[in-house]
Amino acid sequence: MNIAILSGKGGTGKTLLSVNLSYLAENSVYVDCDVEEPNGLLYYKIDNLEQESVLTKIPVINNDLCDGCRICSDFCKFNALAFIKGKIKVYNDLCHSCGGCKLVCPQKAITEIDNAIGVIKSGQYEDTFVLSGELKVGEESGVPIINRLLEESSKLNKTVFIDSPPGNGCTVMESISNADYCILVAEPSIFGLHNLNMVYNLATVFKKKIGLVINKTTGDPIINNYAKEKGLKILTEIPMDFELGKLNSEGEIVSKIPKYKELFFNILETVFKEVN
Amino acid sequence: MIIALPTKTSGEKSFISDHFGRTNYFYIYNTETKLGEAYINANKDGQGGVGVKSSEFIINKNVEVLITPSVGEKSLRVLNEGEVKIYKSIEKIVKVNIESFLNGELKELF
Repeated sequence: MNIAILSGKGGTGKTLLSVNLSYLAENSVYVDCDVEEPNGLLYYKIDNLEQESVLTKIPVINNDLCDGCRICSDFCKFNALAFIKGKIKVYNDLCHSCGGCKLVCPQKAITEIDNAIGVIKSGQYEDTFVLSGELKVGEESGVPIINRLLEESSKLNKTVFIDSPPGNGCTVMESISNADYCILVAEPSIFGLHNLNMVYNLATVFKKKIGLVINKTTGDPIINNYAKEKGLKILTEIPMDFELGKLNSEGEIVSKIPKYKELFFNILETVFKEVN
Repeated sequence: MIIALPTKTSGEKSFISDHFGRTNYFYIYNTETKLGEAYINANKDGQGGVGVKSSEFIINKNVEVLITPSVGEKSLRVLNEGEVKIYKSIEKIVKVNIESFLNGELKELF
């Protein structure tokens, strides 16, 4: 079973939920797909992390064979190739590793080499297996890393909790692609509502089962009203709690503490029932 | 010398475009023949990396000087490879920008 936790806005509580739900669930995997700013490992403190590079292919031009026909640079939809001063130049960070240039080159002047765009870290924390991706600074797209993370986690045959990146872009779409259930997290503000609407629309396009968690509630019914209007199930409301916020900011897994455990346990129970 | 400018409309009376990569037109002027020509920017609505394509376009028109309000990082790399000198435009029409450049009144952008 794959459960994705997403929110339009950053800092709403995706990692808080993903970490605590995966910690409480049995036989679980936590996957940090927020590869631009992974922070799950701040909670899951693991000493012997295994690390593996994520490689993509980038083209290399053999200038002895290239006759400057520019078929490759015209073909490239990502504008990663340009014909400058009689030679084809490759701009690695724009390349999406589709391999198209190599296929269309009539001179067979293009080969591919490996390019490391980031790493996958993994390790065991008590009952939970932890996977975290990290994109190299300066690289454009984390999608290949997310693909690798999801491939690894699906091999394990466990309950997978996917900590999605914020927003509703390519990386978010990739991270929820195999999800059986999407937990949307929102905070009660106008900004929070706007971004909730974005991810709600995304999850609806992908025809996902959806539940909503309202975090940092203050009594403002803005999100509750939205949920009612859309017929969206509210899994729980987490009140604005200074102590919870402080513990969480110190990298503590708050569901280890009895008084917070129930909060997350109830969400798990409801989600499991909804999926099955 | 061949000069290029990103322009909002076509021709020497156009104002300069704010965005080099996604400009509507390029005005390309030859100082020897004193002739200029406007080209539609085919890369205007591209998904990403349009600066690369726009730079490639002007480089392959043998442009040596680009007059523009700014350029992005991706364009800059390509323009440097193509040894194009970049000068900062003023908020006047194309014709005035070219005259100012020839009088040495424009500053190099990088």
